[in-house]
Amino acid sequence: MNEKLVSLRYRYWPDHLLGEILSKRWTETAIPVIVLIAVAIVFSRAIPGFLTPASLADTARQAGEIGFVVLGMSLVIIVGGIDLSVGSMFALTDFCALFCLDILNWPVAAVILVTLAVGGLLGLVNGILIGYFRLRAFITTLITLIVYRAGYDLLILDYSNQIAAAFPDLPSWNFMGGGDLFGVPSVALVYAAVAIFGHVFLTRLRPGWHITAIGGSRRSAYNSGIPVRRTIAQCYLASGVLTAVGALFFAARLGTVGGDIGVGLEVTVLTAAILGGISLGGGKGSVAKALVGTLIVLLITNGLTTLSAPGGVNRMVLAGILLLAAMIDIRWVKNRYRIISKVYVSPTYHAMPPVPSTAADSGTAFALNDRLREVSEIGLGRIEAPEDVILDREDNLYAGSRHGDIIRFFPPDYERMEVYAHIGGQPLGMAFDRRDNLYVCIGGMGLYRITPERKVEKATDETNRSLRSVNDDSRLRLADDLDIADDGRVFFSEATVRYEMHEWPVDGLEARGNGRIVCYDPNANTTRTVLRGLKFPNGVCVAGDGQSILFAETWGCTVKRYWFAGPKTGKVELVLDNLPGYPDNINLASDGNYWLALVGMRCPALDLAWRMPGFRRRMAKRLPIDEWLFPNINTGCVIKFNEQGQVLESLWDLGGVNHPMITSMREHRGHLYLGGIQNNRIGRYKLPGADPDFVQYDVRWGRRA
Amino acid sequence: MIAAVGHWVDRVLGRGEASTTVPPFDGQLKPNQLLETATVLAELDAPEDLATDGKAVFVANGRTVLRLGAGAPGEIARFDRPVTALCCLPDGGLAVALEGSEVRTLGGVREGRRWETAAGAPLTAVNALAPSADGQSVLATDGSRAQPYERWCHDLMGHGRSGRLIAFDLVGGGERLLADGLAYAFGAAAAGPAVWVSESWRHRLVAIGGPKAGRPVLEGLPAYPSRIAPAAGGGYWLTAFIARTQLVEFVLREPAYCRRMMREVDPRYWIAPRLSSGSTFLEPMQGAHIKTMGILKPWAPPRSYGLVIRLSPEGLPRYALHSRVDGTHHGVVAAVECRGELFVLAKGCRKLLRLSVAAIEQELLP
Repeated sequence: MNEKLVSLRYRYWPDHLLGEILSKRWTETAIPVIVLIAVAIVFSRAIPGFLTPASLADTARQAGEIGFVVLGMSLVIIVGGIDLSVGSMFALTDFCALFCLDILNWPVAAVILVTLAVGGLLGLVNGILIGYFRLRAFITTLITLIVYRAGYDLLILDYSNQIAAAFPDLPSWNFMGGGDLFGVPSVALVYAAVAIFGHVFLTRLRPGWHITAIGGSRRSAYNSGIPVRRTIAQCYLASGVLTAVGALFFAARLGTVGGDIGVGLEVTVLTAAILGGISLGGGKGSVAKALVGTLIVLLITNGLTTLSAPGGVNRMVLAGILLLAAMIDIRWVKNRYRIISKVYVSPTYHAMPPVPSTAADSGTAFALNDRLREVSEIGLGRIEAPEDVILDREDNLYAGSRHGDIIRFFPPDYERMEVYAHIGGQPLGMAFDRRDNLYVCIGGMGLYRITPERKVEKATDETNRSLRSVNDDSRLRLADDLDIADDGRVFFSEATVRYEMHEWPVDGLEARGNGRIVCYDPNANTTRTVLRGLKFPNGVCVAGDGQSILFAETWGCTVKRYWFAGPKTGKVELVLDNLPGYPDNINLASDGNYWLALVGMRCPALDLAWRMPGFRRRMAKRLPIDEWLFPNINTGCVIKFNEQGQVLESLWDLGGVNHPMITSMREHRGHLYLGGIQNNRIGRYKLPGADPDFVQYDVRWGRRA
Repeated sequence: MIAAVGHWVDRVLGRGEASTTVPPFDGQLKPNQLLETATVLAELDAPEDLATDGKAVFVANGRTVLRLGAGAPGEIARFDRPVTALCCLPDGGLAVALEGSEVRTLGGVREGRRWETAAGAPLTAVNALAPSADGQSVLATDGSRAQPYERWCHDLMGHGRSGRLIAFDLVGGGERLLADGLAYAFGAAAAGPAVWVSESWRHRLVAIGGPKAGRPVLEGLPAYPSRIAPAAGGGYWLTAFIARTQLVEFVLREPAYCRRMMREVDPRYWIAPRLSSGSTFLEPMQGAHIKTMGILKPWAPPRSYGLVIRLSPEGLPRYALHSRVDGTHHGVVAAVECRGELFVLAKGCRKLLRLSVAAIEQELLP
């Protein structure tokens, strides 16, 4: 009963999605967005009319003004610095705009240009000091904050009355201050334009990438040839210009030069940036984050003001939020990968019937024997990790190696060897097509093809992305084994879409159907996924009817049959169930049956653990991977079965002396050739009574003329 | 309340009591292959224990006791039940434990004494015997009151806490309970006024009686200690019959899995330490056990292990002899020193090993 509940819970509750969602980069923006929505809901409940269009327009106007400053600050933070002088620069540029307009009576266009130039100049001072003279950003901008503020105080002493007395009535100036287009305030429009550009700049343009690179690691950026000093200086300059833009709109809206303009602005702006998720450590941030942070801060300050909270409270709340956000930021950046790696692994319920007996006296087809003891070794110590082996019509023997090579051994004694082709990834399953192209599944790379002229070509490395998957599953992660149908279509298995090749034990710990069968059509050059949700699909072999494939599910301990043509198209049927071990590659036998490699054997302790997902989840968290309970792949065997699902015989080597592990086997001229992914040899076993002229690809594609 | 919350936090975060950390074989316990390369003196059918009187070595083998003198091993006693413990008495003769449930004396001046109960409870798993300091009594450890001797693994996985230390009076014939509630008592030795007992499931050697009564002499071992025998140059030989792994520590902290495993799985294939391993693929395998290029790593988590620790008179390790994961001389239950040679009983492979103490010390001591 209890176990039934466990199985239902794991069937219907998608545990694996949490880790997949958290590992998406947009979650870092999603969390501030959720905060923003929560803040909006809270204040709209507390304050009637908080979210009316008029109120929103007003908020948008302020958001625009502060938003420009936040953009500048974000840029500086992303490049790895901080700009505390934004408040003073804001005040100075505000003064500059009004001075030019009211006292010098310049045209608006000139006012804008000069103000931006002044802002740029003020920022440039920071930029030169920090970028070129390499002063500490915090101290430098703290000093310029004081200097600029002092200058501003001196200037307004002389001019504030004159500015206050002036009432310029210029349509363009007024449009900047209070105008709108279809109800959208002018400032918001400009902000939108700048923000869109900023987004493209940061994510798509070279200087934007340089900025992120410098923030991420200044030294690496320098080493890769990025002009670090200049870029940093430019960021401060940009911060000054953006502050000036904000100040221009502010000046146009209010037209005052009060003593408290820009006081404490740096705290507001910093809070907005950090709240939005722009990391104080540098190297991480986006325009969207800056925008969300700005909105949160504005809603809070405006909300508190409407609730007539005193200014001190307002400031204190902001400072509190800043502290909290900075703390979360630090902890998150430090622990993000640890948290994700802890929640990403999500074991599920996987029950199998009790293991069938393999005892020597059990009388089953699986009964232990020592028939493989006579295996002789090919290439001992000269080849590493031959997962699959294959022979061509000229009796040459091919095997993959973990160095990313396809090695060829020459008949008759297979002593001489050469590198047939270099691909670069671990070669797994192999098959020849009608024209003697060698198709190879490469772990981590995809499906590759080696022409008879030894040219390496990529066949495919991606398939269609499934709509219901959170992870992008279009890229092939672990193409495993393949076979080729009569029309040339290649059917291959991808063992898991959630892990890389070397992480296969983690997939075994999960025991979820993470794998799939993919079809590559060389005629149309298309790749489509045909079956999903398989438990580590591994060996693939076209069945005798030419309309279906047999495939093995390693963790499922089953062999299934899938029809890709004919009356049963699309159907999947079970061929072998509840195997005593973990099935791997499948290949043709000379008598029309099939060879199947069992790469490892089931053990009762793991079978039980597979029925207790919580146990495995905690094990994954508490223990290092070397200590995990693993599927036992130190001992394996070869079995022969037919399409009716009968196991006919098994070949074992108990001691595992000559050939410790078996992931594949290939019959050729009366011998069985054995591959093993953890081996440093290829095994060769003389099959008693087998057809001495059997050549797989003569049978498959017809004897060549 | 606070303690309960603390335990819960520990369980969630894997800290404190819930921590599965196992100390490494390091310092004085640094691994070597001395036990693996030791001379094999004899292969036996069912060896259980060793004893010596300084002249010859006695071996408990199945229902018999063998004497290893100068010549071939000779049988000196035969019983109707398996012998589970053996010791030589100071004034001649032997004491033996039969099937863990009876202690008898044999030969010498104390011939024919028998005990079947202690403190009103029957003996269940007497696994080690040793003479007391004054020679007037024989010390016995009764591993568990719940599980018989051969089911020690059930006691470990069932969190057994019922081991006892008993002194049987050779003169008067009475008995005295020295300690109770031990997490599997396996091996004792007199050390001055105190008795040192191996408390296996707590991975420590604890002092009973004497000035430091109840305090650990040696703790935080990476293995489960078993019998202790005095060494000729002062100090002791401590054997460890199985070693700890993080996976077993973890399973011990997973009551649901542990219960189901004990109910549904054959004990031979449990996630639990064994005296020997590697004979079948039905045993659980851990990540580091994968044979790569035909090699099993010696530092992989030990399902079975061979270890003898030489202790100083204060109980501190001086050096250790190992047979590592890739070896076979595992499950060492007893070691005795006789005429400058160390005799080691590896129950896992049923072999009696011999090493020269002088040669060991020359190699291991600076």
